[in-house]
Amino acid sequence: MKKSFLAIILLFSILCSCQTEKKVSEKQEYLRWVGDIEQNDQIDELDFKVCNGDDKVLQYFNLGEGPVYSGEKSKILNTFKSSYKPISDKKENGLIRIRFIVNCEGKAGRFRVLQSDYDYQEKEFDKKIISQLLNITKEIETWEVIRRNEVPVDYYMYMIFKINDGQLTEILP
Amino acid sequence: MKYFNLTVLLITYSYVFAQPNCEAYKYYGDTLKYKACKKAMEIKGHYQFSKEYQTVLDESIEIDPTFDYAYWAKSIAYLKSGDFVTWKKLIDKAVEYKPKEHLGYRGWCRYQFFRDYKGAIKDIEKLDSLVDYDIGQSQNGTYHLNIAKGLCYKAIGEKEKAIGILEKQIKLNEEEDFVGANDYLHLGVLYLETKKFEKAVETFKKQSENNELAENQYYLALTYLKLDKPIESKSCLEKAKELYLGERKLSDPYSNPMDKIYLEDIENEIKTAYNTGYNSLLNSN
Repeated sequence: MKKSFLAIILLFSILCSCQTEKKVSEKQEYLRWVGDIEQNDQIDELDFKVCNGDDKVLQYFNLGEGPVYSGEKSKILNTFKSSYKPISDKKENGLIRIRFIVNCEGKAGRFRVLQSDYDYQEKEFDKKIISQLLNITKEIETWEVIRRNEVPVDYYMYMIFKINDGQLTEILP
Repeated sequence: MKYFNLTVLLITYSYVFAQPNCEAYKYYGDTLKYKACKKAMEIKGHYQFSKEYQTVLDESIEIDPTFDYAYWAKSIAYLKSGDFVTWKKLIDKAVEYKPKEHLGYRGWCRYQFFRDYKGAIKDIEKLDSLVDYDIGQSQNGTYHLNIAKGLCYKAIGEKEKAIGILEKQIKLNEEEDFVGANDYLHLGVLYLETKKFEKAVETFKKQSENNELAENQYYLALTYLKLDKPIESKSCLEKAKELYLGERKLSDPYSNPMDKIYLEDIENEIKTAYNTGYNSLLNSN
């Protein structure tokens, strides 16, 4: 009796989960907020931790300070200027966004890359460009700690790199 | 004239900040758009980035796939999170269904968020060709769209063209007593970069009267150096540093504005000025 009861529950839960999946595939699935990045153990550093929970991660501009960088943006610009080795290729043009979370200690993690040409169509850049930008970004040890009511928060930050003929021409924001 | 500008400004802004008037769709017999509009109004109280906000707008688009407002409202979170691919798809739809209302906005965002100078110029010029009224201000109200267009021309190397555009628009703004907060600064920098030093000084002085900024004193200092006035230059650099530390500098919640400087720039110039002054003192003795 017990066994058959368990079997029914199991069957029911399988059916339910199938239904949920079907629903999701019909409509666009949203996370809590646009652009949220879930932890992926396959690619993300396991020792990176969000301090206040994923559902409390803010956007860099939520506290109205504008884009903030530890040691001002000029420091970041200098880092990329000295570390990025341009790939000379007329086909390498467009925008690359690297988005990530900065935690309450000013450490960054969960890096994600978005790439497009100058017509905003997704494309893939030469892997040497992407890996360089990603590695330089990951090597930046400290990001600005943003506080709300004195309490340090976790926030999403991004950088957009403009690439012309394989050269890094601008970093935004 | 002031009132005229204000009216134009309000008209330009109304589509951006105010909700659409759903009843107007009903009045003109567009019941589908009326329903889509009523649905879209359910976003009230939800954050632009949230699942709830986005879902309501999806439902609005399902009711009427030509309802521009829903695409525009959906696009904002993607813009602010730097997702240029999704943003562009959505805002293109809004522009497709109501070009006159969204072209100026798309152009401005291309400049402000992605430094897509050529794309911004194209959108602003297209809008200008479609309407016979003033094309209005940027979304954040900082610039007239023509000033933004001029800055884009500067960025692609067409500095003389940029100067022409800025001079013309600033003159119109002066007539209406509505000069933008950084207009003179940008024009002054353009004069400096094209070696029109006397004009640059004159323009930076106007910026000081209008809205003093660290950048203004910094570029004025560089101009004085070109005019061989090291004492004036040094004094401007000190003022620039003081203003910078007092947060009187160019800023924007989402990006770093054009002609923005950093503390490091000011300090480097101060160091150079000090060394040059010291050397010339040694040489004169």
